[in-house]
Amino acid sequence: MENLRLEVTKYTPEINLDTEGVISLVGKSYPENTFEFYEPMMEWIEEYFKTSAKEVTVVNMEIIYFNSSSSKLFFDFFDLLEANAEEHTIEINWIYDEENESAEEAGEDFIEDFEDLNIKLVQK
Amino acid sequence: MNINKVQEIVDKDGIIFLSYGGYISQFLISGMTEALEKEAEVNEISMSISNNLFTIFIELSQNMMNYSKSIDDTTVQVNPQGLIIVSKDDEENYHIHSQNIISLEDKEKVEPKLLEIQALDKDGIKKRYRELRKSGQNTHGKGGGIGFYEIAKKCDKIEYKFTKINEDRFYFHIKTTIQTKKGK
Repeated sequence: MENLRLEVTKYTPEINLDTEGVISLVGKSYPENTFEFYEPMMEWIEEYFKTSAKEVTVVNMEIIYFNSSSSKLFFDFFDLLEANAEEHTIEINWIYDEENESAEEAGEDFIEDFEDLNIKLVQK
Repeated sequence: MNINKVQEIVDKDGIIFLSYGGYISQFLISGMTEALEKEAEVNEISMSISNNLFTIFIELSQNMMNYSKSIDDTTVQVNPQGLIIVSKDDEENYHIHSQNIISLEDKEKVEPKLLEIQALDKDGIKKRYRELRKSGQNTHGKGGGIGFYEIAKKCDKIEYKFTKINEDRFYFHIKTTIQTKKGK
């Protein structure tokens, strides 16, 4: 299985999917077609947990701001992680700037919605 | 056309920028978002409030973009011209307006959501937003969805108005207010 890397754009985050067990998303997220944009990422993650998962997988998410369809997509993303959390160890860092209250609150909501996931709020 | 008339309106109403046209594109939206980022930076608006501004702007303009894409050309009698305006008043409140033409059928889809939002307080809106996101309903389609709840979560006030053009066409106006000086 190969790594997948998507460069940052004005409206999509930099995405790094590394078979060494690191998944990272950094930037803004308001694509025109959110589900199409994230489809390769979601497929990669499914494949990774099926065939290549490392003992520990670290997920780093640092999203500055995002539109509502990205919010839904991230929900589906955490859902996918949760489906694999029983068999695999997944550590999730929700990273936000200390002044960015909306991002902090978004992280808190995900923690409440996904009690079985290990999501840590990490202030920059 | 007298451009000075437009200039007068822009000056009087504190308009920062506006866009009018039938084809609002993703590139146009990201360009305007950049302009808004600059505006927030120059005016030293806190990161939290400025991110709310950007999210609301993106939500309203992408709604219009998706709506104009979803319309079947053969059934449209009126061009779906969309207007989006960002302005700032004397008390440094930002206002983001959007207006476009929608059908009666779509008005009937949108209006119950807005009525529900108007009846809820901030915590109620946040709760409903999460319920809807979880249930996954209305979120995969274009337009609407949890977008209005996202906007309502992030602004201090949301108002809307439908103005009838004919039996099947309405102007759909949304006005949002974002305060930059809290706790007055």
